[in-house]
Amino acid sequence: MSLLHPLLAWLVGIALLMGCAGRASILSPRPEPLRLHEIAGEGDAARRASQRLVLQGLASDAEGQTRLGRRSYERALQVDANNPFAYLALARQAVEGGDGESALEYLEQAELLLGAEDLRSPRVEPHLAGLRGAALLARGDTRGAGELLAQASELAPSVWDDGQLSAEELR
Amino acid sequence: MPRAKPRSTRRGRGLLRVLVLTIAGVGFFGGFVAAGYFLSLDRSVRARFEGRRFEVPSRVFSTPSILYPGLDWKLVDLRGTLARLGFREAGQAGRLAPGEYAWGASRARIHLQAFEHPTRSEPARDVVLRLDGSLIQEIRELPSGREIGAVLLEPEPIGAFYGANREQRELVKLEQLPPHLVGAILAVEDQRFEEHRGIDLRRIAGALLANLRAGAVRQGGSTVTQQLVKNFFLTPERTLRRKFQEAAMALVVEARYDKHEILEAYLNEIYLGQRGPTAIHGVGEAAHVFFGKSARELDVAESALLAAVIQSPNGLSPYRESERAVRRRNLVLEMMEQQGRLDPEVRARAQAQPLRLAAVTPDPGDARYFLDLLRRQLSDVYDASVLETDGLRIYSTLDRRAQRLAAIALREGIADLEKRYPRLHSEQPARALQGCLVALRPQTGELLALVGGRDYATSQFDRCTQARRQTGSAFKPFAYAAALEPFRGTPAITLANLLDDSPLEISTPSGPWRPENYDKRSHGMVTVRQAIENSLNVATARLARDVGSRRIADLARRAGIQSPLPIVPSLALGVASVAPIEIARAYATFASGGIRPELQSIEDLIDADGRTLDRRKLRFERVIDAGTAYLVTSLLEGVADRGTASALRAGGLRGPIAAKTGTTDREQDLWLVGYTPELVVVVWIGFDEPRSLKIPSSLGALPIWRRFVQDMTGGQIRGRFPKPANVEVIEIDPVTRAVALSGCPERQSEYFLAGTAPTSFCGDGSSRVPLPGGGLAERPPDREDDSSGEFFRWLRRQL
Repeated sequence: MSLLHPLLAWLVGIALLMGCAGRASILSPRPEPLRLHEIAGEGDAARRASQRLVLQGLASDAEGQTRLGRRSYERALQVDANNPFAYLALARQAVEGGDGESALEYLEQAELLLGAEDLRSPRVEPHLAGLRGAALLARGDTRGAGELLAQASELAPSVWDDGQLSAEELR
Repeated sequence: MPRAKPRSTRRGRGLLRVLVLTIAGVGFFGGFVAAGYFLSLDRSVRARFEGRRFEVPSRVFSTPSILYPGLDWKLVDLRGTLARLGFREAGQAGRLAPGEYAWGASRARIHLQAFEHPTRSEPARDVVLRLDGSLIQEIRELPSGREIGAVLLEPEPIGAFYGANREQRELVKLEQLPPHLVGAILAVEDQRFEEHRGIDLRRIAGALLANLRAGAVRQGGSTVTQQLVKNFFLTPERTLRRKFQEAAMALVVEARYDKHEILEAYLNEIYLGQRGPTAIHGVGEAAHVFFGKSARELDVAESALLAAVIQSPNGLSPYRESERAVRRRNLVLEMMEQQGRLDPEVRARAQAQPLRLAAVTPDPGDARYFLDLLRRQLSDVYDASVLETDGLRIYSTLDRRAQRLAAIALREGIADLEKRYPRLHSEQPARALQGCLVALRPQTGELLALVGGRDYATSQFDRCTQARRQTGSAFKPFAYAAALEPFRGTPAITLANLLDDSPLEISTPSGPWRPENYDKRSHGMVTVRQAIENSLNVATARLARDVGSRRIADLARRAGIQSPLPIVPSLALGVASVAPIEIARAYATFASGGIRPELQSIEDLIDADGRTLDRRKLRFERVIDAGTAYLVTSLLEGVADRGTASALRAGGLRGPIAAKTGTTDREQDLWLVGYTPELVVVVWIGFDEPRSLKIPSSLGALPIWRRFVQDMTGGQIRGRFPKPANVEVIEIDPVTRAVALSGCPERQSEYFLAGTAPTSFCGDGSSRVPLPGGGLAERPPDREDDSSGEFFRWLRRQL
């Protein structure tokens, strides 16, 4: 199922209006949404290797080789089973493939691990909110999706204004 | 008037007629029989050629090893892995061919082989590893010098599903093979293959002459087609009748099929030796066994060696008879040159090449229980005949190193127990002490190692997946989880509560039940941590009574227990019988923060044509609140650090461990179930028959668990257990269990689900600690009068 759901544009539009209408935060500087290559050198050896595999996977995804991408994420988890970004990348891929159910499962793991490692920063939040919204949308839950996508769009309009997170944008 | 013919002439003509008729009749009959014979041969030939020509067993592979900077190459046994993959060690200098490596003091160079897979092929890559002691410092690709973050080695073969013949082969296509391989084989086995029609009379005459001169059978006159026919259809007996049949069938085969098909079939069928009980057939398989590479990558000398071995695969085995094999190889090279198949310079270089064979790494057989599990799982979908003959490639989740270490830890651990406690030893295999070890990756549910018994050869019964045993105290964490989990918004207990370990009697339909502690003593009021760290049965039974067995059973089922759970007061103490693999999965749910993983044993399944038949999908489900799972993990960390499993630390094992011992009544089943942030391991020890070991699990199962994890991690466990956002750390008074404010003389940090911390404060004079669920626990006698009590009373009034 494509993310270009007929409802999506409507939802994002409403969401943007809601966001712009009453929130002062749009006037304050927003942190740039996280791109994973920026943190490729962080963590211990296993985490760094795992991150490289996640980046490889995102590169494959960006080229349309989703199976290869998925395999890279699984290898990333083989090296570091607690790498939240591998789950985030899996969630993104699942959303793109229209598998909202799996995306929510991956997001659950990603959120748990991000929280546990104090990595749940304002730079990650738009991705978490947006992916959850897109996953709910893929599952047919438009009510929950709209608010989350709006939140993502407000936090990171440069990435989430189209309601999607491409592999390149996450990479 | 014509003269009458003489009587003798008439008789002569009559005889001639009879003779002609007889000959014609015999000829006709003979032709009829011959036609029938050839038709019958034709039917046999067609049936074999047009049906399934070869039985190719399905092969099972491990998950690939991943190399990256920072990895301890000694710990992961990189050189052993290369040897098992068939890599050959070369000198430090010079060019490396795929499948070769060179090892120096500070650098290792590996020319990785190409790995073919429908979705994740890897190209051949020449990489250099910079080493610092046992650590890989850096990986670069040659010749570009580009730095690489991670390199995958190809998956290791761990076994195959053989048919009755135990033939191992890898099918090859003729067009994929190097011309020098085909040339070498034809040069020595059938140099006029392209010219004859199945039988080579010149070759037969030559062989006859050579054998007459030698006075014995030294040379065969069979063509490639005849050899193929013999292997496909006939027995190896040496009789004229069999030779005639072979020749006739060769003619039929040549009439029916083209040379390409015949040669390809021959190259896939030819017997090339033995590896243990398995017969090596075909050049594809032999290339892997002898040289650790694919047949398409064989060089001239290697091709000539394969051709040389055909004459007598065991007598000319390059492993056992290397000199004879080299002599024969050189003869093949000379024949290739004489027949114009090779330039003299190439021949000379190939003859000068020393034998470089892949290391012989006999199958230790340690993955056989895992292979049986896969076969059982796959048999739900595929017939046994498909698994044995269709040449599937099954990529499993098994970690080859984890499996080997698990098998060693279990085997040697049980032997050590028998040495320390000779009464446990039995000469009868059926009465021998047994055990099992299963290891999972908790976040993904991937099965990394499974050893279902101490020795597969004597018992194929898999105690990890097929046996259900009482779990004893290893079940208690489910009771504590049920008590800590909010029920209608409130948990039954928090970690501030005290539990009553005084004698208890519970009425049951079968009479009163009086649980006892392992030490037969009562411990009065104890903290929740003390209760689980010391595995107190009475305190746990009382807690379980208050929480209810149904809730405990429900939580255990959600975590992953599938066996029936009796709703009885003793459920919390481990009266239910479950399979070790179920316990592993259920503990994995705690380890991964309440998210239950689906067990995975197969990554993907590829058919002989390279199509993906099946591939796994990671699946999870949140079944327990993350905070509750974390509280249980924290309790089990206490068990490993201070409680009944504290001996885990004895060997210097550092890093986060959560574990629980389990010893059943009469000490018949000993368990150690534990996890690190990346590994769940279950060890069970016991007899197959009901029989006591008379030792606790801390002496029986724990040392095996400790050794395995020590060997896996090198003693330093990586990572930490993720604390979820809904768990807060609050300092409490260890005596009153109230929140400790500044001035409270003693304090300890404790974890609480958000909003469930005690509402009383240290030193406020309260004699009771309220339970979140509304119950009350008796406060233990004060140890001393708190001099700061006045302050807290004042503070409480202010609050």
